Amino acid sequence: MTDKASDKSNYKSSGKTSDKTDVQQGTLALMILKTLASMGALHGYGIARRIEQTSGNLLSLNYGTLYPALLKLEQEGYIASEWGLSTNNRKAKYYKLTRAGRRQLEREAQEWEQTAAIVARFLSPEGERT
Amino acid sequence: MRALRAWLSRFGGLFGRRQRDRDLADEMESHLQMHIEDNLARGMTPAEARRQALIKLGGVEQTKESYRERRGLPFLDTLLQDIRFAFRMLRKSPGFTAVAVLTLALGIGANTAIFSLVDGVMLRSLPYPHSDQIVYFGWLDKSLIPDLSVPEFEFFRDRATKFAALAGFQGYGDQELSQGGTKRWITAGFVTDGFFETLGVNPRLGRLFGREFTRPGAAYAAVLTDSLWRTAFAADPNIIGRQIILDNQTYTVTGILPSGFKYTQHADLFTSLHLGSNMGNNGLNTDVIGRLKPDVSFSQAQAEAALLGAEFFAQASAEQHQGSGVLHLDRLQDYLASDYRTTLLMLLSAVGLLLLIACANVASLLLARAGARQKEVSVRLALGATRSRLLGQFLTEGLILGIAGAAVGLAGAVAVLRVFVSAIPWDLPSIDRITLDGRVLLFTSLIGIGASIAFGLASFFQTRKLDLNSTLKDARGVVGASRTRASLLNALVIGEVAISLMLTLGAGLLLKTLYNPYQEKLGFNPEHLVLMHTPFRSSMSDANVWNFERNALARIQAIPGVQSAAIVSVAPLHGQGNLPAQRDGHPEDSIGGTEYRPISSNYFSTMGIPVLRGRAFEQSDFSSSAPVAVINETLARDWWGSQNPLGDRIVIGEYQGRQYLPTPQPPLQIVGVVADVKGMLLNRPAPAMVYVPALQGLAINGSTDWLIQTSAPAGLAAALRKAITDVAPDQRIVDLEPMTQLISASVAQPNFEALLMGTFGALALILTLVGVYGVLSFQVVQRTHEIGIRIALGATRGNVMRLVIVRATTLAVIGVAIGIGAAFGLARLMASLLYQVAPTDATIFAAVAVLVLAVAMLASYIPARRAMRVDPMVALRHE
Repeated sequence: MTDKASDKSNYKSSGKTSDKTDVQQGTLALMILKTLASMGALHGYGIARRIEQTSGNLLSLNYGTLYPALLKLEQEGYIASEWGLSTNNRKAKYYKLTRAGRRQLEREAQEWEQTAAIVARFLSPEGERT
Repeated sequence: MRALRAWLSRFGGLFGRRQRDRDLADEMESHLQMHIEDNLARGMTPAEARRQALIKLGGVEQTKESYRERRGLPFLDTLLQDIRFAFRMLRKSPGFTAVAVLTLALGIGANTAIFSLVDGVMLRSLPYPHSDQIVYFGWLDKSLIPDLSVPEFEFFRDRATKFAALAGFQGYGDQELSQGGTKRWITAGFVTDGFFETLGVNPRLGRLFGREFTRPGAAYAAVLTDSLWRTAFAADPNIIGRQIILDNQTYTVTGILPSGFKYTQHADLFTSLHLGSNMGNNGLNTDVIGRLKPDVSFSQAQAEAALLGAEFFAQASAEQHQGSGVLHLDRLQDYLASDYRTTLLMLLSAVGLLLLIACANVASLLLARAGARQKEVSVRLALGATRSRLLGQFLTEGLILGIAGAAVGLAGAVAVLRVFVSAIPWDLPSIDRITLDGRVLLFTSLIGIGASIAFGLASFFQTRKLDLNSTLKDARGVVGASRTRASLLNALVIGEVAISLMLTLGAGLLLKTLYNPYQEKLGFNPEHLVLMHTPFRSSMSDANVWNFERNALARIQAIPGVQSAAIVSVAPLHGQGNLPAQRDGHPEDSIGGTEYRPISSNYFSTMGIPVLRGRAFEQSDFSSSAPVAVINETLARDWWGSQNPLGDRIVIGEYQGRQYLPTPQPPLQIVGVVADVKGMLLNRPAPAMVYVPALQGLAINGSTDWLIQTSAPAGLAAALRKAITDVAPDQRIVDLEPMTQLISASVAQPNFEALLMGTFGALALILTLVGVYGVLSFQVVQRTHEIGIRIALGATRGNVMRLVIVRATTLAVIGVAIGIGAAFGLARLMASLLYQVAPTDATIFAAVAVLVLAVAMLASYIPARRAMRVDPMVALRHE
């Protein structure tokens, strides 16, 4: 986790079915970066939809939380935005990864894998024995 | 780096808010539209498609809000908003804002100016290198004057070992500089060798003069200031070594001083003193300064000086020299500032108190306003404002008030300090360099800002006790009573009254001190007296002086309208001239510096000085050589007590080498005793004084004062000048002025002090007026409802008015009582500044108490009238 999740931007999606997981802010940033890396330039709605699809609809993403996250990444210089036209000829703001963003994605992905591996070892039966 | 980049970007987000908001709205809109289109494609109805899209988004407004928080810096955003709001609030009540800002500005400005003055005079070092090593020699307990005589100076100079340099200074004099045909008057300072070395000043050109120029009969040397060198000698570098003529005497120019050099007063050049060559060297007339050797501590030097002083007395035999004293060192800085120390301390206390009043005023204004704003606060709380948000808001308002006050105060301080410095009647080397002190400004600003913030806070905490329901329901806009605020306000009023009483009291006492000299027994009648001063060239012999004086006096007396004319070596309040004196045959009765005045025969009658015993001088005293003297009351009382001094004799002493000669002049027979007359200073008791006939006198002052009693001053000046130049065509005439003017000049310093204190006192009263007015007005507004009921129940307008005035009076009386108590405590500080006024002077106390009470009454008048005019119908309808 590179950023602490703030109370305000992490809206609980009450009323949804409980088997869907809430997305934490830092994780969301990683997902956005990864999505942009694989899809190229994309608008906010497209990113949201793509994240949901990639998660196999297991994630409950409140689309509104996406925009502050996008702004934060843009402020940090990992992504850049530009107004363009969507496939339906609608005006939309397109986000794309910068070079710094690409490096950040590699770094974060690595960290995430490491963390996941460590946690996995703790949870595996062998980890318990030692 | 990333974090910094993000912060910068967020800081940038504070600006261009509208464009960014529009951008976000567009983005949300396009997001929704795309989502709705997708939903429609899945077969939802348009309404359902939109609803689902909005649900999924989590609310447009919430998204925008959290986006905005991320975009800018929320706390800074709030701050900017608070500042904007504060400015709006302050603009909305310009009266309150103006009074609060001006009040603070006054306190801050006055404090900054006075602190800068104190810093310049007392704290900042003299404008000479290593100035803490420069010391001043003075006698303690030897006579009223701390100065040394020339023989004393030489005695110490030749024996002292702890000093790198030691020098004497004998004041300033006007001299005539002749260059070819042109003549100009210049001011010379008379110094011994070592003077500039002691101050650590090097010539910019040439060299300083050595001891060879100070021996009797030697050549004279002159060191020019940079400005004289430029104006009179066109900055000619070849002037070094050349001769110039001053008062028909040749001086060799040895050096040019660096520009900007100043000792205590303005001078154009400094000339070498010839030690022991004239009678003047026997008086206590030499300021002695020295520079410590680098490795010598002040206390070591002090010990040596005390030892040398004792040695000096041991060497003079009992018959030759009487009295004792301790030779004492002061740092030159302390010595020069000592005359002003008490004044400055008093001014400091005064402005400190003024700042307190200013803070109290702002506090009462803010508190009163907080009361009036309770409804606003309740509404904002009800609309969901958090307490911390309100706190920030109150703080911001306080801060803005404070900063505005400090800014206006700074502008005021700059102006005031300029006026101060130009009006200061003090002779100090550092006076020209006094500038506004940044640290002081910062300090006073912090106090002012701190006070406004503190009371902004205090008014915030009032709102904590706010009961939303009752306040909102209460249509009068203010809650009935907040006891703490009421008592705080009362305490502020009392404190303000007490402090302004003390300030006004200080001003009153000083003013009475100032007024006293006019009532004071001058010892002579200054009305219809004109003073004229004629400095002589040093080449003029004593006999020539009297010839000139006698001839000129005869011509002056012939001027129509002149009733009488007389001469004296030094007129009262115009200077001093002293010689050692002793009661003949009574070595226990001697004074090192007795004021000595050669006069013409009609001096006493012209001045209106009564002869108490014996007789005044007669014409015969001016033709015979039988030595006679008239003494003043003080001397008669000191030496003869209740006995009759007439027929007894006194000796005017003289040094030769380092020994007193028992009879340098034949003893003088006392023929009369006259009433006391003031010496140089109006606010000091008359000094012991000996008068001798001008014919027999020694011209120790090198000048004559002429006193002309006349009823027709028109055209008098020209006639006087003509009378003088008829006798001596080259004679210079200065200071032609009415005697009353001289008296005003001699009270210039007390005048300055009284002016400042008077200003502070008046300011304090005005501030109190505003403060009391503010509090009472607030209370009347607060009680409008109650007053309405009273009137409806039959209270008369008079009753209502009394209600307000009685409250004001009660507070004011308590304040006055406290102030008087405190003033008694501070009496000692004032005592040394006062002359013939007790620091607890009953008349002044009574007058000031009445004045302060009157101000409080005046302040309550408008609120009382307002209360009186309350329309019961209107007041009650608000219910």
